[in-house]
Order: sequence, then structure tokens, then C-alpha cells
Amino acid sequence: MYRYDEFDAALVRERIAEFSDQVDRRSSGALTEDEFKPLRLMNGVYLQLHAYMLRVAVPYGVISSRQMRRLAHVARTYDKGYGHFTTRTNIQFNWPALQDLPAILSDLAEVEMHAIQTSGNCIRNVTTDVFAGVAADEIEDPRPWCEIVRQWSTIHPEFSFLPRKFKIAIVGAPKDRAAVRTHDVGLQIVRGEDGQTAFRVFVGGGQGRLPHIAQEIAPAVPGQSLLAYLTAILRAYNLLGRRDNIHKARIKILVAAIGIDAFRDEVERQFAILRQEDLRIPDEELARIQAYFTPPPFADLPATSPAYDAARRLNPEFARFTRSNLREHKQAGYGAVIVSLKPIGGVPGDITAAQMDVVADLAARFSFHEVRASYEQNLVLPHVRLEDVHAVWSRLREAGLATANADLATDIIACPGLDYCSLANARSIPVAQALSHQLADAALLEKLGPVRINISGCINACGHHHVGHIGVLGVDRKGEEYYQITVGGSPDEQAALGEIVGRSLPAEEVAPAIARALDRYLEIRNDGELFIDTVRRLGADPFRTAIYELTDAAA
Amino acid sequence: MQLLEQVQDGVRLSVSTPEEDVRAAATANDSLILEFEAFRDGRGFSLAAVLRGLGYRGRLIAAGKVLPDQARHLRRCGFDAVELSPGADPAPWRRMDQVFSAAYQPASGDDRLVWRQRHTNPDAALAARLNAQWGQAAAEDLLRAVLDPALERKAAVISSFGAEAAVLLHLISRVRPDLPVVFLETGQHFFQTLAYRRELTERLGLTDVRDIKPEAAALSKADPRGDLWRSAPDACCTIRKVQPLAQALAGFDTRITGRKRYQNSHRAALEPFEAADGVLTVNPLAAWSADQTETWLRDHQLPRHPLVEQGYPSIGCWPCTRAVETGENARDGRWAGQEKTECGIHERALAPAC
Amino acid sequence: MKLLTANRLNDGRVIYLGEADAAVEAIDAARILDADAAEAALTLAQSRPAVFVNPYLIEVEDRAPSGRDRLKERIRSVGPTVGHSLDFAARNETP
Repeated sequence: MYRYDEFDAALVRERIAEFSDQVDRRSSGALTEDEFKPLRLMNGVYLQLHAYMLRVAVPYGVISSRQMRRLAHVARTYDKGYGHFTTRTNIQFNWPALQDLPAILSDLAEVEMHAIQTSGNCIRNVTTDVFAGVAADEIEDPRPWCEIVRQWSTIHPEFSFLPRKFKIAIVGAPKDRAAVRTHDVGLQIVRGEDGQTAFRVFVGGGQGRLPHIAQEIAPAVPGQSLLAYLTAILRAYNLLGRRDNIHKARIKILVAAIGIDAFRDEVERQFAILRQEDLRIPDEELARIQAYFTPPPFADLPATSPAYDAARRLNPEFARFTRSNLREHKQAGYGAVIVSLKPIGGVPGDITAAQMDVVADLAARFSFHEVRASYEQNLVLPHVRLEDVHAVWSRLREAGLATANADLATDIIACPGLDYCSLANARSIPVAQALSHQLADAALLEKLGPVRINISGCINACGHHHVGHIGVLGVDRKGEEYYQITVGGSPDEQAALGEIVGRSLPAEEVAPAIARALDRYLEIRNDGELFIDTVRRLGADPFRTAIYELTDAAA
Repeated sequence: MQLLEQVQDGVRLSVSTPEEDVRAAATANDSLILEFEAFRDGRGFSLAAVLRGLGYRGRLIAAGKVLPDQARHLRRCGFDAVELSPGADPAPWRRMDQVFSAAYQPASGDDRLVWRQRHTNPDAALAARLNAQWGQAAAEDLLRAVLDPALERKAAVISSFGAEAAVLLHLISRVRPDLPVVFLETGQHFFQTLAYRRELTERLGLTDVRDIKPEAAALSKADPRGDLWRSAPDACCTIRKVQPLAQALAGFDTRITGRKRYQNSHRAALEPFEAADGVLTVNPLAAWSADQTETWLRDHQLPRHPLVEQGYPSIGCWPCTRAVETGENARDGRWAGQEKTECGIHERALAPAC
Repeated sequence: MKLLTANRLNDGRVIYLGEADAAVEAIDAARILDADAAEAALTLAQSRPAVFVNPYLIEVEDRAPSGRDRLKERIRSVGPTVGHSLDFAARNETP
């Protein structure tokens, strides 16, 4: 993984000095709250319902054992002993004091971490495929490009005061495991005509109140021109994006308003007049960064492991875990283990300090010191020998991290909701917990197969409910929590927005209604057909009927 | 960036002015004032960047609602000056403008672009990376890291065959016994040192130890009687150590030394990897303590320099080395009674990278 | 009746305006305000930005939040209803 050199380290240190200065000026009254707010947000500091919240960046989801241990230290020392992983693969701490923040940031800087641009109207943490460098279908490892974009976007002089936040995701495989079409800019690595790295560029995706799936703006931007092209997009957006209405300020609204063709013309006009030579990535810099992402020293192993196979035969629980939480690795004899942060009845994405230490230890022993944070709010040990999977599973199981539900119905993506968030209309976590209990049966889960359920506590859609196979949105009806259900959303290369099935339901009716919809799927699916494919084949109607069956009967 | 405390005369446009109108105004004026109506409204940054990208050379002044925290954004996007609001304190403006020592994004007329700096001195970047990755590692791992064939370094070891030299040479023998080891045969060594050089070489199986001697012609000219050390120890070091070493190391881009932080105060901040003057210097033992060194020598039963027993913990040429008393530092016996603490081979080319 | 609430600048915690214009953490210690007192309280809190961040008034009945945002205000007054902050002490990982 990437390691800071003296320049990277200096910038992060200088950023802390700058933020300390800002905290001091806020305390002395030299900065008003209105002035301070965007500055603290650009350092990942929110003021939530009960306290400040610090969102620490995990750039493109890659994290070392040492960094994970330091996160545990932060959770213990400055917070209430836990953290929360988000869909942007960042980690949030819910209880830090303002005056402690410079110390926390210094502790993080020692392990090459920061909270820069994890919030605010600027370019946010770049995300990617959690299986980058692992998946066999990869054209090229996207992580070096993520790092290049990370550096270029960090403390950007021109793009720190955009109309609204700006999110970029990069994938290196045709299979989209990073939801690139739900981003302001989504980049997919392709081979250009010259055989060199190029980027298929999507623009104008986003969720929130007015969700949009991104459209293709360019089929193959050469790698060398990537930063110039991004600059042109951002510049066009910065000059033309709306600033009069926060709900219409994202790039998706601009692209939808003037149309993709007119926006492309605008980007090409800016591209033509900017000084591209300044933004061309030098070959030696690309090579320098790529060198950090060479594969770890894998052992030369056979594709199968007798010990692993035997353990699967002997232990049905372990076998189930490997069926759901182990992914193929392009290196023979290795696999990627998904660490579930979705225990039955738990808080999706939450992890205690003790659990962080367990994951750090396992990564150090079994996965070349490397951990990944995923879009699904889980963690991944990316490079585990098959013969070690049983040992890893045993330790995860002791720590409550081995729920066999990756990509299954209880692998629920949820925002913190009204329990923490000052923007929320309704709670998300209790609904996720009720659903998790309702669907807890392991055999049922496995029978249902991959189903993605997403819950957001308000229309800002941090739980990505629009692109959940089943989405749940909390709404406020005269001071009461209600939940609107959508069906048929999808974040991948067939990205689609879910369809609202009908009127919203009170909290206690949500889990039973979704369980009925899933039962209906089992009745009507073709052999081997996934939930989302059944929805695509038959539309939302059968599920709508199931969802409202009992509630209608009662009414 | 200039801080202007008075309201400026000139063409004044809101940052909400369409880009084409701003460009038209720029064509007609050699100075423009762009007025921010809210500090969150970042259009002004892009307008300035567009004008500069098009080659506008006039004066650009930011005015209105801008924060000191935006000083560097303004400057790097191409503003020359900012019109402060009445009564504004210029101190935070100056402070915030200079918060960052470098930037990831290019800006016209700015040489602090991180990419450029990285590749003007690639060894510095390599040293930084190696320190980050291997700085805490065991000395042997650290040697293996820098001798990784993928790095294509041409490395040589510098050894005095002095009191502690056996540790580094032992590690070298375990990692790469064929690595060139440069020994400065100054012509003024204790005979015990020369004997020790032979014994240790043989015992460790080092296959390429090179005796580097001063150039005879230079020596006969500058130090015909071999007593230059009495009158000018620096000059003596130069002719017998610094110059021969420079010649011996031509063609090598990596030097491995046994220097340690505890040896003297000049070495207190020594990093395992340093870069300067186009050379990477590797100090695998930088973090070692005296006890650790002693333990290693004992555990591996390495032969000791014969003079150690006689109270010489640091050994150079005979005229400038004496035994130390209890309570003195190890290197107090080197150039005792003089200001001098280093011979010079570790100072210029081997100075720590900033 | 009303209460004045805000978050405290230095640690972000929920506070209320209590007796003698003090900032208090417990909703039970908050001062109940009638319409006139509420306006005065808001002005006072706004004049103390080093303590009160984003001060505003909430409706209460018998000290229980009662307005449109009553659920949010109830959660603000008692803390998260679920999750790891609840069993923090039980896990014995003292900060």
C-alpha cells in the first residue's frame, strides 16, 4: 500500500497546524460558527445531535494493521470505545471533544492517516473496488490512480469551495463493485486504442433527494490526461453549478438541466483552454506510485488446500462462512475473507476497539498487514491463504465478526439515522436491527441468496436506499417515524433506482413486510434466479402486493 | 500575496458574473477586482484560474467576503492581492497564506509542486519511503530492503575496522558478503587496526574489501614528513580520508555506514536512510544503543579490535586517537582537545537530508 | 412552554439554558420559559457563542419535548436509543 514520503507527511502535519489555528480562532471568537463550519467540515468534523463527530479518511478503503490499531487507540482514548464504518469506506467517531481534535489528528498523522476532505463542499475521499488487486477480472489495479486522484484533490486551491460535495469512485474491472454510477464522477479503467490505460468517465450520478444515475461523458480518456479532464469537469461545475438551493447544487442537477451533450461541450471547452502540460502525470511519478501497489510476496501454492477442504467437510458452520464470506483471489491458494460488521441485531458498520485490534492482529498474521474497508460497511482481509482461513474464522468468531452474511439479506447497509445524525428524520439502526432479527435464520439467508437491503434515515440517502435491491427511507409524518420502501434499485454496472412501492409504514411493520416480499421471491423465482433478477423480470408489483398484504387486510 | 488595506479603484466584477463577461473585461483591462459575495462561493477561484490559463497577465484582486483561510487558495489560483475588509487583522492572512510548504496542484510561477520536487531529488523520495517502510525494521531487514535488486542501487560499505565495525560487517556478511567494503588505509593507522582488518575479513568471509590509499603524489606534496596532523588536522583528514574516499566511491550511488545516533550529538537525529548530493546513505545501525552493539558482538562471538581492551572505544588514526577516561563519551578520544568531531567523510556528501 | 437548547462549543454536548443563565446538561435542570422569557433567552444565548452553538427554542409539556421535532429532541435529551454508546461502560473500556 501507499506510504507517505516527506511531502505527504509534511502536508498532513501542516493541515493539523492550520486546523489548530482555526479551532483557536473559533474559541477566541475571531471566527464565527458560520465561518468555522465549512472549515471544520473540510477536516471531517461535524456537529451532530449529541456531540462532535470526526470522520477519518480511509483512502480508497486500504488500511494497515498499524493504522487499524491506531484507530482502536483513538476509539479508546478520545471516544466511547467504538467506531462506525461508512459506505465511503471512512470511519466515524461519535464523541470527540473539539479541543481534543488536534491531538487525535496528530495521533492519526503518525500512522499516515487524516480526516482531510471527508466532508464539506469539496472533493471527498476517493473510493474503489474493495477487491482491487485481488479480483481476477481486473484490467488494471485502480489503487495507484486512486492515490493520484487523492493527492491531486487534497487541499485543492480551486475546488475547496464547490457548490456542493463531490465524490469520485474508480474501478479497474468491468464488474462494478464500487457503485461508480452513483457518483458525481465515476471512472472505469479501460484499454485505450493504443493499448494504454484509459478511463471511461461517467458524470452526474448521485443520490439524495433527487437521485440520478451517472451518464457517460467520455469513452476513453487517456491516463495521462485524467487530471486535466477532471479539472475541466470540476471547473465547469464550479462555474455553472447552482448555489441558490442546496438541494439542487450537486453536479447531477447541472448535468440533468443542460443535458449531457451540452455539459460535455462545456467540459471540452474548458479542457481545451486549460494548461494540460501542468497536469500531465509524469511517467516517473506514476511509476513511483504504482511501485507501492505491487502484489505482496505471495507464496507459490496449489489452488486447493487439503486442510481447508477437510475443515469445510468437518464443520458445517465454517463451511457456511466460506460460502458466504470468502471470495476468490487471483493468486492460487489464497482467498479474500469478508469480516462481517453486521452481527444479527447489531449496528451496521460499528466496530469496537477490541474488535479493531483483533482485525489488526489477523491482518498482520495472515494478510500481509492489510485490511480493506468496503462499500457495504464491512472489512476485508484481502490476502489469506486458504489453509489459514479456518484459523482466521475461529478468531473472528470469538470476536463476533464472523457472521456468515456477506451480500446476504442481513448484510444491511444503514446510516446512523436519528440516533446520531442532526439531519435525520427517523432512526435507521432500530429498523436494521429488527430486520436482522427477522431474517436471522442462516438457512433462510442462504436460500434467499444475495439481497442488498439499504436503510436511510432521511432523504440525503447516506444509506443508499435508492440503489438497494430493497430500500428503506425514514420519513417524518407529523413527528412520527415512517418508512417508505423501494424495490429494484441496484448500484452496480446495471445501476438502477428503486421504485417506491406505496405509502410509508410505521417502524414495527417494516421488517415483517420485507420478510413477506422475500418469501414472495422464493415462491416466484426461476431456478437459480437472484432476487434482483426476479425484480427485473417481473417488476415491483408482486413485491408490492406482498408488502401491503397484511397491512391492507388489517386496514 | 499582497494585502491591501484600502478600497481599490478599478473594474469590479462580482464572482457571479458569467465567465465570458469576465474574460471580455480582462481583455480590456490590465487590472480586475473580483468581488466574493460569500466566502463559500468558490466561483472566483475558477474565474482566476481560467484567466491565468488563458495567459492573462494583468493584476487580479480579490475583494468582498473572503477568509484568511482562503489566502493560499486565492494566491494559487492566480490572485495577486486581496482587498481586506475595513479593520481586518492582516496577521491571520499572512499566517494562513504560508501554512503549507508544498502543494499537489500546479500553479503558475510556483515551484513547490510536490511531483516536481519528488523527481528533482529522487533519492530524497526514496530515502523518505525507505524510512517510512523500514525505519523501524531490524538492521538486517533494512539492508536487504536497500539491496533489493529491484532498486538497482550500486552500493558500497564504508568501514574503519574500528571498535564497533564488526557489527555492520557481520550483517553485511550475512546479507551480501561480496559487497564492496571500502577501508581507508590512511597510512597512519595503528598496526592493531591493520591486523584486525585482516582477521575480520577472513573470519566473516568478506570477498571484496578494498584498501583505499591516499594518492602518493598529493601526499608527498602536502605532507612529505607525515606530520601534517600536528599543524592542520583538517587538511590531514582531507588528504588521507576525504579525497581518497571520494575517488573510491565514484560510481557508487549508495553508501552503507555504521554510524549510530548515540555516538555524538551531531548524529542524534540520524535517520536510517538519508539522501544528499546524489547519494543515498544507509545507516542500518542508526538506532542502536551501545548496549545493543555490545550484546551483538558478544552473542555472535565476533572478534574485538585489540585496542578496545586498552580503553579505546572509538579508533581512528594513531596520532589523533587516545584512550578515554571513565565518564567520557566514546568519541571523546577522537581529536581530543580540538573543536573537531568528524573527519569530514560523513559531513559533506553524507550530511543528513533536510 | 419552551426550553432553550444548543450544543456546547468545547465538546459538542447537548446543553440547555438553566437557572441563573447557566448551561446545563440535563433537560430536567433546564429553565422553563414563557414566550417573553424565551425571546430573551435566545438573545442571551446568541450573545455567548463561545458556549452556545446554534441555540434554538423547543416546545415542551411537563419538560418533555412536544413539538414537531419531539422525537429528535427526546433523543437529544437522552442520547442514542441503541448501539455501542449504551454498553460502553459495561465493556469496561474507559476512555
